Amino acid sequence: MFEWFEYAFMVRALVATSVMSFAIAPVGAFLVLRRLSLAGEAMAHAIVPGIVIAFVVSGLSVVSMIIGGLTAGIAVAALTSLLARMTIIREDASLASLYLIALALGIFVLSAAGSAVPLKSFLFGSILGIDNETLVLIGATATITLVSFAFILRPLITNTIDPVFHESQTKYPGLATQWFMFLVVLNLLGAFKALGTLMAVGLMILPATAARYWASTITSYLLTTFVFALLSCWIGLIVSFHLPDVPSGPAIVLVAAVFFFISLILAPQGFHATARLNPACRWKQSDGDANVISKTGEKIHEKTF
Amino acid sequence: MTQPLLLSADGLTLGYRDLTVVEDVTFELARGDVLAVVGHNGSGKSTLIRTLLGGLPPLAGALNWPLARPETVAYLGQRTDFDNRFPIRVRDLAAMGAWPGLGFLHKIDGECRARIESALDRTGTAEIADMPLHKLSAGQLQRALFARTMVQDAPLILLDEPFTAIDQTTEAALLTLIDSWAAEGRAVIMVLHDLSAVLQHCNSALLLGQGRALFGNPQETLTPHNLVGHAYLSRSQATWIETMYRGQEAGHV
Repeated sequence: MFEWFEYAFMVRALVATSVMSFAIAPVGAFLVLRRLSLAGEAMAHAIVPGIVIAFVVSGLSVVSMIIGGLTAGIAVAALTSLLARMTIIREDASLASLYLIALALGIFVLSAAGSAVPLKSFLFGSILGIDNETLVLIGATATITLVSFAFILRPLITNTIDPVFHESQTKYPGLATQWFMFLVVLNLLGAFKALGTLMAVGLMILPATAARYWASTITSYLLTTFVFALLSCWIGLIVSFHLPDVPSGPAIVLVAAVFFFISLILAPQGFHATARLNPACRWKQSDGDANVISKTGEKIHEKTF
Repeated sequence: MTQPLLLSADGLTLGYRDLTVVEDVTFELARGDVLAVVGHNGSGKSTLIRTLLGGLPPLAGALNWPLARPETVAYLGQRTDFDNRFPIRVRDLAAMGAWPGLGFLHKIDGECRARIESALDRTGTAEIADMPLHKLSAGQLQRALFARTMVQDAPLILLDEPFTAIDQTTEAALLTLIDSWAAEGRAVIMVLHDLSAVLQHCNSALLLGQGRALFGNPQETLTPHNLVGHAYLSRSQATWIETMYRGQEAGHV
């Protein structure tokens, strides 16, 4: 049962994913809350050309991977918000265009560089082959993320619930959200190394959506997300250890998927609770009603003049 | 008015670099005043709010703060971008009003907690304080947002269309609150979408429209003649209202 504990690569993988869960949980939670779940997926692909070029230039170096990935990720994020502000195209369409360009560019360069490129580890990661440099990367990412959250948590919550109010209360309303996008890219790099470009976002989003069905306060939400992420990693790793042909990335994400479906069915805010939701459109409806009343003139005439 | 002057606007031109929205906005606001801002869509109501919040400098004219610009200007905007599915309780939403003054790593202290509890009590949200936002009705949510506005504890309070989509009972309760803020010496500026009973609670009015502004007490400012002049009403609407008004007057005699 516990024979996997004797293998150094398994222990490394467990340590790496546990540390990663600390950071990836709050980042994923806020991606979900800020309605950026799909943008997270797009960003995971957007960093590919940076990583590929770094790989072609300097081989399997973690430092160059960070520099390449961060550059590509931040460039795509900045260009996206620039296009959304300066042109008619909205944010989602701008991001979709840019990440597709970036992904195509990455694969183009990857193929042009020819042999020696471990395509499989690009797609699925190499969690069972984690070296010291990668452990340091994951540890540093987690530290930076958690310290950052101590500072940006309140502004980020305010900005997510009520951006108009947040803008009225601070001189730099964009600061917390831009720093958050930086954290997203940083965490994607760690997850990319471990889970690959196809699965990296899975560990970010699925524990967060599963936890969303249970939690009704932000504290319990962040904690539940962390617990789901951690359990997904542990169980997923052990499953892939016992089924040697299964890559660990998909195994971890599938365990997270099991948590998602269990939560969907059993949790207080899952399926059986939908009837209790107040749809946002209700306001718009009554807004219309209020206008009708005033346009009859009845109220205007009686009470104002 | 014996209350000291909080704010005076002198010949403001409001707008953006390439677009002037309204010119010659002049008004005064003393502590305890409730000012209604009325105007058609695009008349500069929101632009005025943004200018008062400090996010948009006036293109011309002067905005004077005789008592110095308050550190906090409380603001309750429209709820178009509001996310009511965020996992947070009513009590924490109200507490958000105190967050900007807290600094980064500080917790909410006893004095602040008392302010939050009192705001929940006075807005009638104490019983629903532990409910998540997505279970609230529009009226309950607006009460909770009024609680947040009170927790901001500001000498100047800006409300942007605070009674849109709110039923009469809630509106009456919230108006009582606004009266009590004025009695505490706070000044309130309300952007109103409709002419309504709300205006009875205002002691001055600013009518914006057609790029111009008119300031005075509500009865003299918001006459059918001025409302037509500032494109808030069409001439036929105004004529109809005036006919009704005369009819009622005659009935009373």
